[in-house]
Amino acid sequence: MTANSALKIDNLHKSFGPHQVIKGVSMEAQKGDVIAILGASGSGKSTFLRCINLLETPNSGDVYLGGEKIRMRKNRHGETIPADIRQVERMRARLAMVFQGFNLWSHMTVMENVLEGPLYVQGIPKSEARDKAQALLAKVGLSDRADYYPAHLSGGQQQRVAIARALAMDPDVMLFDEPTSALDPELVGEVLSVMRDLAEEGRTMLVVTHEMGFARDVSSKTVFLHQGEICEEGPPSQLFTNPETEQFRAFLSRMN
Amino acid sequence: MSVEQLLAYIPLDVALIAANFDRFLWGVWMTLNLTFLALLIGGIIAIPMAIARASNHRLWNPVIWGYTYVFRGTPLLVQTYLIYYGLGQFTVVRDSWLWDPILSSAWWCALIAFTLNTAAYTTELLRGAIIDTPKGEVEAAIATGHSYRSRMRRIILPSAFRRAIPAYSNEVIFMLHGSVVASTITLQDILGVGRWLNGRYYLAYEGFITAALLYFIIVFAITRVFRWIERRYLRHLTRRSEPTPSVELAPSPIR
Repeated sequence: MTANSALKIDNLHKSFGPHQVIKGVSMEAQKGDVIAILGASGSGKSTFLRCINLLETPNSGDVYLGGEKIRMRKNRHGETIPADIRQVERMRARLAMVFQGFNLWSHMTVMENVLEGPLYVQGIPKSEARDKAQALLAKVGLSDRADYYPAHLSGGQQQRVAIARALAMDPDVMLFDEPTSALDPELVGEVLSVMRDLAEEGRTMLVVTHEMGFARDVSSKTVFLHQGEICEEGPPSQLFTNPETEQFRAFLSRMN
Repeated sequence: MSVEQLLAYIPLDVALIAANFDRFLWGVWMTLNLTFLALLIGGIIAIPMAIARASNHRLWNPVIWGYTYVFRGTPLLVQTYLIYYGLGQFTVVRDSWLWDPILSSAWWCALIAFTLNTAAYTTELLRGAIIDTPKGEVEAAIATGHSYRSRMRRIILPSAFRRAIPAYSNEVIFMLHGSVVASTITLQDILGVGRWLNGRYYLAYEGFITAALLYFIIVFAITRVFRWIERRYLRHLTRRSEPTPSVELAPSPIR
């Protein structure tokens, strides 16, 4: 592992009951990498992403964030659980996630949503956090919506707030779980353009997506998952022009 | 027409009500202090019980479930009798330090019964609200790095309390109405004064209509307060009203 490694996942396995969803996936993101994770529904790509910040607990495999390993142990039933939940919480604060369904806290205003993590997880002074939140809302183009409640915004606006909320944590790595899949087609563009800006800034991002254009143009590496395994991976220029496996070729033709 | 003539048309002995009105006011005080103290204490103990129920705590969940099941499954009157008349049968209770200031007093017994009763209902109501917290919002709190305690305090409870407001306003009104039980164990609450008037003068309407009116006024006040609370705390669930333009855009009709 190089000193430049932002996130490394080593031989991750996850089953739900008898059903094996992730069958040994390894992946490494250097600082500034944008990895697009593609795959048909049921290929395990969302589950994989959720195993990284332990929203799902993997059955085996290791996750390293900036070289620090998330320590796991076995409980007395033989199930894998976090060895130290405080460490996991610390790691989660450095791994911001953007969800398909936005998942903004509905009883809080836009500003309160963005302030929540910095104030109550990181313990940053209020005035400093507020300045930063205002700058972030300006960045996603929603300065004038700071006092709105999520329900009073469009889907695209809500997702941009969610991105601002994630950025407020100054994360080392950002995890995007199908960030545009719940949006009306005409709202997809505004979210993708914000994500494009983040990639250009050099943010490290893992993006599970169905947006082929984003994967092709923005990602530094594209990974195609098929039935819980990495089927094909590499720079998008190579992958999209010259797919090697039958599965990826079939997937691409379905998507176009 | 003079006031006296006007009053003569009302088939009630208004003078009698007026003469005893200070008693009714004391009754109002008794009803309010019992009801709201019970709601306050019951509400406070309901919060940890609701959390334990919602999180399926291995030890506490079945215990609290049993408690709420019993207290929601039996009438408040029976619960009050069991505490007021029932406990006094035991010599152990009569000899204990709890007897003299507390369990021998009707007011304390009513307060205990009301508190246990409303706590049971509030526990279940809150448990439902906690469980109904959108799963995605809880996940977002987890993903942000909130610990269990801090996401409960910062995200889940504030969201659950808000959702519980409309149902809780019913609980407050039910508790107020339920507090008439106090009048059956010698306490002079609003209904207690009405009963006293009836017993003393054999005039049922005077006492009971006055009592009904007083309860009605209190309920009216409670609903107004809750309407204000809902407007303040449930804004995020309402449609946003666009600010009305200060200048009338439509041309005024020419007369």
